[in-house]
Amino acid sequence: MKLVSRLRVLLAALLFSLAGHAAAQNNLEINTPAISALQKSMQQRHAQLAPLYASGALGLARDGTVALRDASSVPLAQRGQINALVSAENADRAALYREIARANGRPEWEADVRATFAQRWIDRAQKGWWVQGAGGWVQK
Amino acid sequence: MATATCPPASSRPDFFRFVACCLAALALLSAAGGAAARALVLDFERLEHPAFVVHDLELTLEEGGAAARLRIGALEAGGRRIEGLRLQCPRFRLDADQLQCAGGRLDVAGLSGVAVELDARLAARSGTLRLELGDGEALRLNAAADGVLRAELRGVEVARLGALAPLLAGWQPAGRIDGQVEHRGARAAGRSRFDLNWREGGFSSTDGLQAAEGIALRLHGQVDGRAGGWDWQAALEWSAGEAYLHPLYLTAGPRAQLRGRLAGERLRIDEATLELDGVERVAGQGEYDLAAGRLHSGGFGIARADLAVVGPRYLAPLLAPAQAEGLRFAGHVSAGLRVEDGRLAELDAAFEQAGIGLEGGELAFGPVDGALPWRAEQATEAVLSVGGGRWQKLALGAFDLHARLHGPQVAVERVRIPLLDGALVFDDLHLRHGADGWHGSGGAVVEPISMPLLTEAVGLPPMAGVLSASLPGMQVSPGEIVLDGALVISVFGGYLQATELRVLEPFGVASHLYADIDARNLDLAQLTDTFSFGSISGQVDVGLRGLELARWKPVRFDARVASSPGRYPRRISQRAVQNIGALGGAGAVAAIQRSLLGFFESFGYREIGISCVLRDGVCLMGGLEGAGGAGGGYALVRGGGIPALNVIGYNRRVDWFELVDRLQRVTESNASPVVR
Repeated sequence: MKLVSRLRVLLAALLFSLAGHAAAQNNLEINTPAISALQKSMQQRHAQLAPLYASGALGLARDGTVALRDASSVPLAQRGQINALVSAENADRAALYREIARANGRPEWEADVRATFAQRWIDRAQKGWWVQGAGGWVQK
Repeated sequence: MATATCPPASSRPDFFRFVACCLAALALLSAAGGAAARALVLDFERLEHPAFVVHDLELTLEEGGAAARLRIGALEAGGRRIEGLRLQCPRFRLDADQLQCAGGRLDVAGLSGVAVELDARLAARSGTLRLELGDGEALRLNAAADGVLRAELRGVEVARLGALAPLLAGWQPAGRIDGQVEHRGARAAGRSRFDLNWREGGFSSTDGLQAAEGIALRLHGQVDGRAGGWDWQAALEWSAGEAYLHPLYLTAGPRAQLRGRLAGERLRIDEATLELDGVERVAGQGEYDLAAGRLHSGGFGIARADLAVVGPRYLAPLLAPAQAEGLRFAGHVSAGLRVEDGRLAELDAAFEQAGIGLEGGELAFGPVDGALPWRAEQATEAVLSVGGGRWQKLALGAFDLHARLHGPQVAVERVRIPLLDGALVFDDLHLRHGADGWHGSGGAVVEPISMPLLTEAVGLPPMAGVLSASLPGMQVSPGEIVLDGALVISVFGGYLQATELRVLEPFGVASHLYADIDARNLDLAQLTDTFSFGSISGQVDVGLRGLELARWKPVRFDARVASSPGRYPRRISQRAVQNIGALGGAGAVAAIQRSLLGFFESFGYREIGISCVLRDGVCLMGGLEGAGGAGGGYALVRGGGIPALNVIGYNRRVDWFELVDRLQRVTESNASPVVR
């Protein structure tokens, strides 16, 4: 299916680029300018998010969002800033899922795109990161 | 060893009858004298005192009554139940007037090795119990003959409360408490006064979303037992520390006065007033369900909150956390809220010279005056008077907004926002807020705006003409605004029409706009003069299909510029020829009769035709249909008349950003073109 194959390439491109693999950049040509803008925004934010995933403050939720799951390790005064960071990331993610569905000419597939991404974010999460399964939060 | 059982629970013996029983037992012990009776065990099923009830008490008197061990199954006091209490008294004394336990040790759930000193005067029905809990921690309880109970706390660790009260255990309470509590009268009809200071305090929920650190807080007030419940009043002063109550970060300063009633699991707040920085007055009342841990019903009012203070602290994190740091507030708001069954049921807000905007001034509204009433289950009307606003470089004029609100729905019959000498008008707007965002429909009209004013406002070269739009079928869904209709600009003697307008992700980094643009009979003399492109007389039609703008910059389109049909003068200046050539890149143009260029200022032409298909930053160029040049070139200008000149392009793939850069340089440069 066109969507599936496109999604696979997009996912690989996004995930690899987030992980810092420059080799995957070439695959980004198939992105729309909006997807590229979102990806760039998310990449820039990832440097701030990565240590928070590692500390367990943030986790990858099963609905394709990032969740503030345990803020205890973060100084109180910064918890609000992290909430703002999470909100911005989730706004980008929601836009990304919509854009990918639109780019495929099937805006009604947004929920499927979201579910596919949610699972991939969780599958590709680094060791030690927290991910949300059907039974709750687990550490990879 | 002998065992004695004092009267059972049904006889409701009081505390002093227990003591009398013990005395009798002690007398028995002394009378028995022999080694076999040096220890005596007393069992009580239930003991009552105005301030406490004891269940399953076992007292073992040893060494002829000079030492004692006490085990209590359960102790009920102050509405709490403590189980498994053990007390050892190595120096014990009990006679007709005195009960003493010196050098004692108490063990109870969460507390072990507590040093105990007890000295009770039985005849006076008074006594003092002193507990040394640990490092600098002490609790002194004093019972007076008139039934008054006093407790003095010194450095008591709050963490102990977590062990004693399971409800608090999940909150990791920390810090120490100093202060006094005094209780007077019968258990259910007495009065308690308290004055407690919590220092170095803190707590944290398991997810860290509700937490506080370094807290210094004073709580003082009184509680009166009445009709099966407790009437209470309290004052709270928060003088140090910080807290994060998701999503709000708070610092010390607030002071509160509260009064209400506690009955069962319902905590009623009849009146609460709060002193908060940036707010003239906050007052509220409500009913809190302790069992469910939620506000059952309640309401509070805020008088004249300074938005510059409360906006960034409280409103931005609640209403727009992703943009919280970029929002700017001004003016004042007063508000009233009502919560029913844990849900917001009513909100009334009154704005006074209020303003909100994004940092950098991209979008701003204000000053706003007016009232915004909202009911979950009832229709209301908001009337706001907006003094003006700003969108990008455009200043918006003053307008009034009448909106009908009903639960998650907003309807605006008509709002007219002045813009330069025209206006932006929205008709029949119907919006509904769902779980995923806003959905709705409406119509928009742009009343004629003169182009000279518009171009001046946005910093473009001055253009004559008028912009107007009729977009009757506007559809709004999360991340998308579709504008069915046309935006028309009469400009350069012709007109330009934009249709199929769609704005996607309008509020994020991926904001982009789609449109189809058709322009007819644009006067090239005006156009080229406006952009200092040289001079061309004639007319062109422009088609821009599938235009996509990302952050106002074109990223995709199929464009075609061609001479308009009809009879009109067609001349092109030497400089314009050079500039058209420059669009194709250096050395990309071959001019037939090149040598003529140096001799004439202008040339006749029959047709102009340029096309560009923009994809991935590359413009695929083309020229007049069916008029290719030698060597794979394409004709951009076909000559005609005398002297005539053909302009041929050779580069078919041109980097878009380079092209824009060249265009900018061409139009900004006043230097004469160099003819080679």
